[in-house]
Amino acid sequence: MRKFLFMALVFSFAAMAFSASIPKDTVVIGMNTGIFISFDPAVCYEVEPSIMVMNIYSGLFKLQEFNGTIQAVPELAESYDISQDGKTWTFHIRKGVSFANGDPVNADAVVYSVRRVLQLKKSPVWLFESLGLNSENMNETVKKIDDYTVQITMNKSYAPNIVMSIFAESWGGIVDPKVAQSHDVSGDMGSTYLADHSAGAGPYILKSWQRNNMIVLIANDKYWRGAPRIKTIIIRDMPESTDQQLALKRGDIDIAWNLTPEQVNSLKGDPNFNVVSVPAQSNEYLAVNAGWGPFKDVRVRQAVKYAIDYDSIIKNIAGGYAIKVQGFIPYGYLGYVSDMPFDQNIAKAKELLAQAGYPNGFEVELVTNTTERRRNEAIAIQADLAKIGIKANITIMQASQMYTKMREQGVQMIVAGWGIDFPDPDALAKPFADYRVKQLAWRMMWYDDHAADLAEAAGFELDQTKRVEMYKELTNYWFDNGPFAILYQPLNYWGTRAELKGFDQTAKGYSLAFDLTKMYK
Amino acid sequence: MKLGSYILKRSLLMLLVMFGVLAIVFAIVHVIPADPVGALLGGNAPPDVVERMKEQLGLNKPLFDQFVDYVWGVIHGNLGNSIQSGRQVIQDIAEYFPVTLQLAIASIIISIFLGIFLGIFSAIYRNRWIDHFSRIFSILGVSMPVFWTGLILLLVFYYILGWLPGTGQLSLFVIPPEKITGMILVDSLLDGNWEAFWDGLRHLILPATVLGYAATASIARITRASMLDVLNQDYIRTAKAKGMPKRIVIYRHALKNALIPVITIIGLTFGGLLEGAVLTETVFGLPGLGRYIVNALLVLDYPAIMGGTLFIALVYSLVNLSVDLIYAVIDPRMRV
Repeated sequence: MRKFLFMALVFSFAAMAFSASIPKDTVVIGMNTGIFISFDPAVCYEVEPSIMVMNIYSGLFKLQEFNGTIQAVPELAESYDISQDGKTWTFHIRKGVSFANGDPVNADAVVYSVRRVLQLKKSPVWLFESLGLNSENMNETVKKIDDYTVQITMNKSYAPNIVMSIFAESWGGIVDPKVAQSHDVSGDMGSTYLADHSAGAGPYILKSWQRNNMIVLIANDKYWRGAPRIKTIIIRDMPESTDQQLALKRGDIDIAWNLTPEQVNSLKGDPNFNVVSVPAQSNEYLAVNAGWGPFKDVRVRQAVKYAIDYDSIIKNIAGGYAIKVQGFIPYGYLGYVSDMPFDQNIAKAKELLAQAGYPNGFEVELVTNTTERRRNEAIAIQADLAKIGIKANITIMQASQMYTKMREQGVQMIVAGWGIDFPDPDALAKPFADYRVKQLAWRMMWYDDHAADLAEAAGFELDQTKRVEMYKELTNYWFDNGPFAILYQPLNYWGTRAELKGFDQTAKGYSLAFDLTKMYK
Repeated sequence: MKLGSYILKRSLLMLLVMFGVLAIVFAIVHVIPADPVGALLGGNAPPDVVERMKEQLGLNKPLFDQFVDYVWGVIHGNLGNSIQSGRQVIQDIAEYFPVTLQLAIASIIISIFLGIFLGIFSAIYRNRWIDHFSRIFSILGVSMPVFWTGLILLLVFYYILGWLPGTGQLSLFVIPPEKITGMILVDSLLDGNWEAFWDGLRHLILPATVLGYAATASIARITRASMLDVLNQDYIRTAKAKGMPKRIVIYRHALKNALIPVITIIGLTFGGLLEGAVLTETVFGLPGLGRYIVNALLVLDYPAIMGGTLFIALVYSLVNLSVDLIYAVIDPRMRV
């Protein structure tokens, strides 16, 4: 009897195993969602939640990838005019568009949404502030002209691509003022409510978010470009990449988000799966502190750049999921420089060190954070530097600790990455070359006025051809003098089930652009 | 009467412990040379933005003032808001703890059964192969990383055999029960939702086995030692000499007395399980308290770390208090 019961139990478990497969109008994504904090466009700043926000809220512009270049195209702004002095932008809002709940999208909603970001002052606010908009001047700078016209006045005449790109990102998402204000709790403009609800005009609606568990998006049938084909998107929290791999292979998820290079390579050649990969909107770099000891000498900085074996890092550490890039402007961007002046050349590096007065090298602290890839990169660089006599002692710390130390100009040498804030060379030239914006160049104490002037001037240049020339000049100067060695531009990659189509189109331009409406089954 | 004053004394001591925990955790998280705002804003934000956010969050006040503010809040039942999400920490704990509690209860049931049986067999068949086997088996549980055991079990029972579901608490297309306690199994019973109960139970088997197995060794060891101790006592010899059946001697006479120290270790183990098992929760994708606190630690979300630790300390103390009370009930000598 007991045996019989046991067998019955085993069989019933086995029978349950053939559970319902994923319906055709539903896509299930396995992802580590630990980074999700809020779906409020004025608060959200992290990569994965931001791309979801961009699919829930439409903005004045939308980022799209064309032939490898990411561009801002009009979305809720049907057209726009720029004043003679280049500072004042007039946006004409598309008529007849409504939010998912039926409320109209109009000038009031646009003005409210931009001012809301400025007032709430959360993580993304500095991007609007970098255009000269803030909570003090917003009544003059962000104005409604009529029901479908909005005027925004910047403090300077920024290159149009900069302005459009900044407004095209998740923080530029237009929020339904009625919904936000009706959920206001002690002046938070609905921020607590919008952390896990949505009030946008984008192709999807946030149906529910159970933290560290599951996110459910459903199609917005009122989306002005037409309802998306996939009606339900479920994001399951799977913090462990092996779980994602197993679930993908068993057909419990359609997309595995966080596979390792080995795991994703194991899917290649299997007709049941596709591997989708796109260039990442970020740079992986090694930086030295130009205000510290030997690195004050430009020849020492050059020696470091000649000591690194870039190809080996790309092949062995990034598992081939990287593009060799050496300038700060990544592949596919306006002003991209294809020159690769640095290859490992130990003799030359040693000679440069000797000229600078360090024939026997020196000791230095190399800082990086805890991810496996960064650790391996630091170890590879340590070995390369040892070949020219530089003894690098590696210190691994949590990202929070590392960035604090870096902001205090306290690192001697660091391996880290720079995620691009908006798709314009300005988002790279300023941090990497202009110490006055107090980002990377400043943190690495590279107080170079020539580079800073060039970076600044290029940001205001309205003539595209001239602008490209300026970035080229800056990049070449930066190669010779700067304290950075770009290791590579990473590739993002996903494993998907073969029955899911169009994900390559969806992922194009990730992590700045990501269009969930492009996928179907 | 005596029991009443005992409980009162213990509760006062608990308050002291809570304050100690609070002070130590506060000191430790603030000694780390990093700040939560930097972590929150990522690597890109310029320094003035970081400064302004610190001010917004009150992080630029003197440490002592921050501590006093926090303690004042706790006294009034307010654990503060998470820096990261802005949500009330108490709300987060209420959401994550039931998941951990359900897993801990299931695991402790498994480890009590496994541990006590292995322990008894070890003691009865001392130094025979059964003893060696059960000792090796239980030691393996502690020595194998739960991370590894978890993945292997998933590989076998989910991926290869397909008998059990993968990660998470419920299958995607099973309608979850209405939220009452937050524990899926309890809620689905209350709700009368049998499909969810069955599905939730199947999801619970692997993580509870992994965690329960890992906690088995200490229970088995103490049971074995305590049984051996009791079996050598005079009254057992007397019982045997009277010609009582072996089974009754062991299970009625010996086991009851041998269990007293075992209860202590079960209490401690259960307390440990309630802290949340980060690795098990990660491998099985469970939204439990362990992952919540570790996530908070990574970005130095002070209120979440402090609130979470304080809550765990409280639960741990309560579990210990109940163990002591059970003791008093089982062993009359304790009441004197």
